[in-house]
Amino acid sequence: MRAILLRRLATAIPTLFAVVLASFFLMRAAPGSPFDAERPLSDATRAALDRAYGLDRPLLEQLGRYLANLAQGDFGPSLVYKDFTVSALIAQGLPVSLMLGGLALIVALVLGVGGGIAGALRPGSLADRAIDLAASLSVALPSFVTGPVLALIFALWLNWLPVAGLGGPASLVLPVIALAMPVAGAVAKLTRTGLSATLAQDHVRTARARGLPPFVVLWHHALPPALIPVVSYLAPAAAGLLTGAVVIETVFGLPGLGRYFVQGALNRDYPLVMGVVILYAGLILLFNLIADLLYGLLDPRARE
Amino acid sequence: MRGAITTVAVIALAALLLPPLLAWGYADIDWDAVRAAPFSAGHPLGTDSIGRDLLARTLAGTRVTLAVATAAALVALLIGTAWGAVAGWFGGRVDEVMMRIVDALYALPFMFVVIVLMVVFGRSILLVFLGIGAVEWLTMARVVRGQVMTLKNRPFIVASEAAGASVQARMTEHILPNVAPVAIAYLMLTVPQVVMVESFLSFLGLGVQEPLTSLGILVHDGADDMDIAPLTLLVPGAVLVTLVVALNRVGEGLRGRMAR
Repeated sequence: MRAILLRRLATAIPTLFAVVLASFFLMRAAPGSPFDAERPLSDATRAALDRAYGLDRPLLEQLGRYLANLAQGDFGPSLVYKDFTVSALIAQGLPVSLMLGGLALIVALVLGVGGGIAGALRPGSLADRAIDLAASLSVALPSFVTGPVLALIFALWLNWLPVAGLGGPASLVLPVIALAMPVAGAVAKLTRTGLSATLAQDHVRTARARGLPPFVVLWHHALPPALIPVVSYLAPAAAGLLTGAVVIETVFGLPGLGRYFVQGALNRDYPLVMGVVILYAGLILLFNLIADLLYGLLDPRARE
Repeated sequence: MRGAITTVAVIALAALLLPPLLAWGYADIDWDAVRAAPFSAGHPLGTDSIGRDLLARTLAGTRVTLAVATAAALVALLIGTAWGAVAGWFGGRVDEVMMRIVDALYALPFMFVVIVLMVVFGRSILLVFLGIGAVEWLTMARVVRGQVMTLKNRPFIVASEAAGASVQARMTEHILPNVAPVAIAYLMLTVPQVVMVESFLSFLGLGVQEPLTSLGILVHDGADDMDIAPLTLLVPGAVLVTLVVALNRVGEGLRGRMAR
């Protein structure tokens, strides 16, 4: 277990470092500047701004300073949101995004695993086929289409839920559903396939033959190994939730990290974009690590 | 699969051939018919918030989306095949390093990599598909590498080596033609993914730019106007979803055939 952890960390840390380096140099290589306004700045103002943000220093010195600050959790000042550091913006947006993503992940796992089990227990039944169709559709539907369509139906036409903005649990229902849908569909398909394979295996037949109650057979013998594909899907799912959140937060006007990221990208706010990319990369590497550790818990054969 | 191919063909042909036959171009503004209802004032699907014909715009957007998707998938094919073929052919240390890089890139939130590329190099349609192609080649590289590795030791390749064929000749005459069917099947699976990525970027305002339009931009504009003219959201959304589902079907069908 510890060996796996160490080996994974040995690739995760250089990867993260490479992300930091790559995004730093890409941002500096970018033509145009965040200070390009509609009215051209005078040379003196420009030089003063560059000096204030340290942009006139040699590149390596800028990198060194950025890395030193990063090590202390400081992503530098935002170039567009005056008086805000990137860390402060992240601190504002991250809780909203984590709540949205976390709820969506829970909803997706409950619906997906539940649907997969229901399908695998009665293969070929009407329920199985209905769940499979729903799963195929929700995987294919992009969140930037489902988000607005859900808002149109449930907020504008039926008037059941708020259209946009953050306020109370009701305002999270549509964003969470829109975000969870593709992940739930993928999880349902993986669970269905995995479970119908393990249900046919010898150890499950033995457990049944020994007269264990069906619930115990399912829960203790058939389901854990069947969930391994779901676990290896966790890391891509996390990436999907993060990218999905960018759209969902924009569509539903939620003040999360994704919205800052899009605004930063449109405004050429380099430190903000870099900060969010580094944070996202870190989160995804963390999810990869968690998935690797879960393998061992679910399947003893993977512990070696 | 036949139904899926027909669906893709109908959508693609409509996007290519219909626009010249319509009364309105996709950028023409009909000042007398702002947010017109369907089947009114000569607009079969009505107009958007500034009086542009929805049918013409949807067809134009579909065309751009399909063009970008094809170009980006070809970029991915080119990079992926080259990378995978080199890694699979040389094996050993070279393979190890090249595939580690692929693994590391897999772990990254690639959508954000594309967005960063857009931010850095400015938003142009050329960059949209170069950028998407530059991140979508990973699976292709893995597939091609696997193929090359199994082909490399097959008797006919060994025989051609014994017969004195150069590395280049063996690669272009024996390996690549045998990799091609599988690579093409994966190419077809890349296209719907690229359609999604392009629409996603354009939806956020980071992809294709006005006056050009794409399905992503149309969905975005439709979402802004959906309370008054729901069709401006529903029509491009439905076309996009149909296209993605049908393209996926075609890709999966092809892969199934090649795997046999």
